[in-house]
Parts: sequence; structure tokens; C-alpha cells
Amino acid sequence: MEEIKDTFLHPVVPLDFQNNYRVGAYLQRYLDGFREKKILGAKCSQCGRVVVPPRKYCGACNLVMEEFVELPQEGTLENFTVGHVTLEKGQLNRADAPYVIGMVRLEGASNSLLAKLDVAPADVKTGMKVKAVWKDQVEGEYTDLDCFQPA
Amino acid sequence: MDRKVAIAGFRMAAAPDLETTRERLVFELSKGLLDDLGIDRDAVDNFVLCSNDFLDGRTISHVFLGPPAGGYMKDQTKVEMDGLNAFIYASMGIISGQYDVTMVLAMSLTGSQVSPYLYFDYSLDPTYDRQLKLLNELSAAALEARSYLAANGYPEELLDAVAVQNLKNAAANPGQARRIEGVSREKVKGSPYYYEPLRELHCYPPTDGGCAMLLVSERKAEELTDKPVWLLGMGRSTDIYFIGDRDLSTSLSAAQAAQRAYAMAGIKDPAAELGFAEISSPFAHQEPLLAESMGLLEKGKAAAAYEAGDTAVDGGMPLNPSGGPLGGNPLCAAGLIRVAEAARQLRGEAGENQVKKADKALVHGQDGLCAQQSAVVILGT
Ligand SMILES: [Zn+2]
Repeated sequence: MEEIKDTFLHPVVPLDFQNNYRVGAYLQRYLDGFREKKILGAKCSQCGRVVVPPRKYCGACNLVMEEFVELPQEGTLENFTVGHVTLEKGQLNRADAPYVIGMVRLEGASNSLLAKLDVAPADVKTGMKVKAVWKDQVEGEYTDLDCFQPA
Repeated sequence: MDRKVAIAGFRMAAAPDLETTRERLVFELSKGLLDDLGIDRDAVDNFVLCSNDFLDGRTISHVFLGPPAGGYMKDQTKVEMDGLNAFIYASMGIISGQYDVTMVLAMSLTGSQVSPYLYFDYSLDPTYDRQLKLLNELSAAALEARSYLAANGYPEELLDAVAVQNLKNAAANPGQARRIEGVSREKVKGSPYYYEPLRELHCYPPTDGGCAMLLVSERKAEELTDKPVWLLGMGRSTDIYFIGDRDLSTSLSAAQAAQRAYAMAGIKDPAAELGFAEISSPFAHQEPLLAESMGLLEKGKAAAAYEAGDTAVDGGMPLNPSGGPLGGNPLCAAGLIRVAEAARQLRGEAGENQVKKADKALVHGQDGLCAQQSAVVILGT
């Protein structure tokens, strides 16, 4: 058969649907804590693990975590990466300027929080002490906890 | 295993842009494989397809891909994870005695028609990680890379060594999508950072591709191939989703999946008994990380192993002699392509990249951020 040059069709996919999600009682407590600039975690009564943000279930014990605990606002930068790209809606682009994101282990927590770091890429080091920085106006949203900076 | 499973044949395709349609790719892989084996679709009693609805842009995507695969009016199911899971699922149907001949086929057009990175964006927790907009496939991989390097005291140059070895192997493998002539550490180091410490050439290239494979019972293997490759063991494990809960310097899922596969295959000392491994390592650091976790390399000695050439095609434990995912990584098909590449080695058909000790091999597949899920199979002649 003769070779046919085909057309490349661009999205006509009806994917503009909107999925709505209830955050659940545990993330709601976390966000409510933000209104008072508090960071809450959940503690497992069996293994004693404290996870932040709080989750209803301890995966290791397969139990409901019933205790909320307030965590200190300071912790250790366990790990970090300097981003040179942005990735939005599947598209990879060069970032305007390098930026730092990292994993912060708050004192007393059993897991780490992924967060923006307000620190120059040249100065960031694993193991450095960092503290939470809040927005002036807190509204019970994830963005209230703006970033972490060197303590 | 009461009943044995053999790979009777396979077809692969991979390129940055295959200039094809999803249906045509599926038809060409499936029909091509049936033609290679001199059979038609009547000889196949089960079809297991592996695609992803988000990447396909239509739900229940095998509705459209089943007919070109030849699966019309057959038992036909879909696996929406990595192709190695489809391979394991297909094998189970033969081990159970329900089927004798199963076509397993995995594909995606994540090179030319949809961004591969969307796959992980859609997999993120919508009530948390998607809201924070910090986590994506590349930032997660970079955090894992730094965690691994730091925990073992490895220099960033280990990533360059892994990438050069893989890209050299890929350049010598005509089936690979990314084939760079004259690749060097300088060239890898000269590629731009995505997220430190990962540079462009430490990361997989967006790839179109697919793989069709015919799995058969022992009875059918005698009819269909004189070079059967046997499934000796398999195992899987799924770690927790949240990367902040995990020790990213190692892979619990790969370690557990491998232990389960070794137990089934009767392997006591994997580093000594296995001839080589095909590992789903879409990022350079993952190849040594996963190899250490699965007992293929000694923990803490990976940098020395790469420097000494132990992991090269002619080394003591060749890793990804095909060039691995750094040479091409079509999502969904990735793990099944690793199986086919291992089978090519075991059949002695790997050309320039042929390893010497090709009698038993490990194949690893993964899904989720930082190999949250791992699948391992052991293959042998
Ligand atoms: Zn617990």
C-alpha cells in the first residue's frame, strides 16, 4: 500500500473533569493547627511512631493512630536537592533560578517533611538545623507553612 | 513450581518517536511475534495487556488495544503497572494450569505523544503532595540519589560512571532508543542538572516503545522453540507511599522481592550464582542502589565495582548489558523489555553486548516513586 502521511492530532480528550477530595479528619486537624502556627503529628499507641502530617493509620501496626501531638518548629535537614528545572503538567522547563527543596526531620518526628528551603544553593548542607517560617497571614492552608530556613 | 513457564519468543520496539499509532504498534509487535513463531492468534488462549489509561488518554485502554493485539473474543485482562507485573500475572495463569499459551504485551508512547512525567504526577497523593507542588518524579529521584550517595560515602562521580557504562552498552544495542556515539564522563558531566545531583544523562529519555512476549507451558515450549528461557522464581513487594517515611538510601521493596524470588529459585548466593542482571533503573543511582539491595553487589562497594569494571559486559556481574533504561524507558513496557533483553542474553543473541556467563539472570521492574514497588524474576536456560 502507498505510504500515507498521517495527521498528528492534539488533545481533544475530555479530561477537564474535576475530582474533589475530602482531606479527612487528620489532615483537617493539621490544617487547623496551621491557624495557630502549630505543626501536629499523629502518634501510634503501639509502636510509638510519630508521623507528620498526621495520618489515621500506622502502616507498620495496621492500627488507628488516636493521639495528636504538637511537634517543635525546629528540625534537621536530612536531605535536599537543588532544582534547576520545573516540571508542570508534564512539561520540563529550565527554572529561572536554582531553588532548594529538602526533607526536614522535626525533633521528635519519626518521618520527614518535604519542604521549600529558604537558603542559597551554595550554603545548603545535610545535617543543618532549620526552623519553620510562617506566612504573616495564616488561613489554615498548606501554604501557611511557607518554608524552612537555617535556625 | 508444579508447572513450568517458558518464554517462547518476543518482539521489542523503542525510539524517541516511533511515528506510529498505539494500535499499529500493538498490531506490529503482536502479529510480528506470531509470524516469527509460525503460529496465528488461534494458538493463543490468554492475552495480558499492559498500558496506562492516563498515558493513553482514554479509560479502559485495552478496549482499543485488545483487537490489534489479536485478543478479540479471548480471555483478555489489563495490568496497569509496570510490564514485569504483567509478565508475572501472565505466568501465574500458566502455572495454575488454566492456560498453555499467553501473549503479554506492554506499551506506551511516552516519547512522542504524552509526557512520561505525567504518570507520576497523577500517582501523587491529591490531598497532600499535589497540593504542595514540590514532589515529582525527578525531584524524588534526586532526593533518593543524594540519600544513597551520602549513606555510602560515594562521590557524585559514581553517577557518571554508571551512566557512561549504560550509555556505552546502549550505543552497541540496535534496539535502544538513546544511542550516543562516543559517550564519555565529560559528556555526561557536561549535561545540565535537572535536580542535583541528577543531570540529564543520569536520567532516562522519554521513549516510545513496547514489547510483546509469548509465555508457554512446558508442553507447548517443545513445539514452539528450541531455545526456551525458563522462569525459575518471582517475587514482589510494595513499600509505603510517603517518601518521608522511607529510608531512601536503600530499597526495601527490591530487597524483599529479590529474597522471595531467590527462595523460589533455590538461589543462596545471588552474586555467585547469577550471571548478570537487567535492572529497571531509570536514574543512574538506582542501578547500584538496587543491585546492592538485591545482593548483587556488596553494600558500600558499588563505586569500587564500577571502577574495576565488574559491572561491565565482560565483568563478573554485568548490570544492564543491554544499556538499561538510560538507553530507553517506555513506561509500562520498561520491565517487560528488561525480560526480553535478559532472554536475548540467555539465548546467546545479544551480539556485541553478549555476556559470558549467560545461564541464570535476575530481572527487576519497578513502579511508584523511588521504586516504591519492586518485582523480581529469575530466568534461566
Ligand atoms: Zn505503629
